[in-house]
Amino acid sequence: MNIGVAIALVAGLVVGFAVAHWRTRSSAGPIEVPEPADDGEVPALLTSAVDQLEIGVVVARSTGDVVYRNAAARAFSGTHIGVLVDDHILSIMTEAETGRSTARVVELQGPPKTWLAISADPVPGGGAVVTIQDISARVRTDAMRTDFVTNISHELKTPVGAVAVLAEALHDETDPEVVRRLADHLVEEAHRAVRTIDDLLKLSQIESTRSGDSVVNLTAVVQAAIARGKSADGGRGIVISGLDTLENVWIRGDERQLESAVGNLVENAVKYSRIGGLVQVRTRVDDSAVEVMVADQGVGIPSRDLDRVFERFYRVDKARSRDTGGTGLGLSIVRHVATNHGGEVLVSSQEGEGSTFVLRLPAERVIRVEPAGEPEVTDADEPQIVHEEESRDARGGT
Amino acid sequence: MNDLRSEFHQQLAEIQSGIALMSAGVTELVPRATEILLTMDLEGAEYMILGDDEYDTRALELEERCFRVIALQAPVAIDLRSVISAIKIIADVERSADLCVNICKAARRIYGHDLDPHLRGVLQKIGDQAQVLFKEATEAYLNLDGVRAAALHDMDAYLDDLHRQLIQVIFESHAAGHIDLQVAVQLAVVARFYERIGDHAVNVGDRTRYIINGWLPDRPYAESDNDPPRVVAVTDPGDT
Repeated sequence: MNIGVAIALVAGLVVGFAVAHWRTRSSAGPIEVPEPADDGEVPALLTSAVDQLEIGVVVARSTGDVVYRNAAARAFSGTHIGVLVDDHILSIMTEAETGRSTARVVELQGPPKTWLAISADPVPGGGAVVTIQDISARVRTDAMRTDFVTNISHELKTPVGAVAVLAEALHDETDPEVVRRLADHLVEEAHRAVRTIDDLLKLSQIESTRSGDSVVNLTAVVQAAIARGKSADGGRGIVISGLDTLENVWIRGDERQLESAVGNLVENAVKYSRIGGLVQVRTRVDDSAVEVMVADQGVGIPSRDLDRVFERFYRVDKARSRDTGGTGLGLSIVRHVATNHGGEVLVSSQEGEGSTFVLRLPAERVIRVEPAGEPEVTDADEPQIVHEEESRDARGGT
Repeated sequence: MNDLRSEFHQQLAEIQSGIALMSAGVTELVPRATEILLTMDLEGAEYMILGDDEYDTRALELEERCFRVIALQAPVAIDLRSVISAIKIIADVERSADLCVNICKAARRIYGHDLDPHLRGVLQKIGDQAQVLFKEATEAYLNLDGVRAAALHDMDAYLDDLHRQLIQVIFESHAAGHIDLQVAVQLAVVARFYERIGDHAVNVGDRTRYIINGWLPDRPYAESDNDPPRVVAVTDPGDT
């Protein structure tokens, strides 16, 4: 591990130095360095250093002929993306010929969607250096940030605004029947705001604290989550089946966080299932990881939303999301719990056919796996947890 | 030979890269059209419909270049095959761009109607598969790769399956009352557009193989071109 870091550092230094050197040299003019146009004379060390770069580097003559591409730029060649990128390089080169640096962003449909920033800097003696950089991560973060601000204000303002309107209506109302109905709505909207704030606080707590390192019976956590899922059924007859729960898996972790994560996954699966649908929960341990898999046959997630569902307040179906009563924070909580435990959460989904979520924790967390023998043990643990969930449900109201 | 007629071969290379560029553009149009359809993006649809003129112009210009090469350079053997095929491939690519535009027009017509998740899921699948076909066709032609070109027939068989499946799902969705007849008809036409894009991709692949070694299909045209979709209608919901 340390050796790897050291190697990476050295490589970084070499590359950084080489690039800085190259840049100063090329901007200082062709005093000691051969012109990039001298095909094949670019020093081998320099080329291999530039090959290490993640960004694509293309050097071209003023005629538009490409004289050099580094490894990242060569990776595109022969693909349809390469054709499109080359076209952009050609036109951006023409602009750079006028002596100023130019840049543009190219959006590629993917899947997944990719954004490439292509910029050209003229070099003395004609020609230009073009860099190609994948800025998808930055674009996504930007979108996430702006969406978050919009969404949080929406999620908080909607119930609070409703409370205000309902209270006003209540103020002038004399009919006891209408008063009762308004009061019911008022309570419902107030609870919605409370739930959102509760989840926000829970999320920020998970974010700011490290996970505790107590011994947790993961099988019991899964059983509790299944019980919570059953209580969220709402009479729609959804079948939750726990598979491979014959053994107790003991892991190191934060019980409360894990309960919250697995519980959220199962509850989500139930919420987005069709009437009479099947939800499968499976625990699996192998040499590399311990996994809790939750699969449903519900509405599924469109592929373009798949990488965004873990964002705070992200809604796939903006119009109908409030019907399900969720706060939009459940999957963010799951992701943070997974990260806190050194693991990850994976999703695969087909719209209209269902989704599968996998909470995956590193195998180092497993203490021991033993046959459950008597499932009564887990049942004995359950009432306490179920009770907690019930009291929350009662408070949540419907 | 290259030394003797370098300008001529430069012209041929330019035609090939011009077509590859156009075809790569269509490879991007297909998923964009699917996105526009599924998100009911009216602005995107408008933008794409207006953008089609550029493809028409480019197609005409590339065709013109092919004619000039034939007239002035009298190409033979592989050169002749590549110019003749280029003329046909241009038409396939240009037509595919039109089909993407047609999908956007259909998106405008069904604006405001909700599609159920199952329907959306299959639409996404058929759009993805059509894009994969076009990407393969583009790259097979770009690299003159006969093996990849030959694989397109099998990939198209899967697209045809998805087409049948989509028609089935449209029937079911209509029978269940999720979509009205107008939307169902529009979506059936959209399904056909995707299937046609796949057929054009197969044609590009076939012509690529023809350039490489003069290969011709056993039948002049892929049978899927003319067969109506084999679909068994769901049991008539007359009782409901």
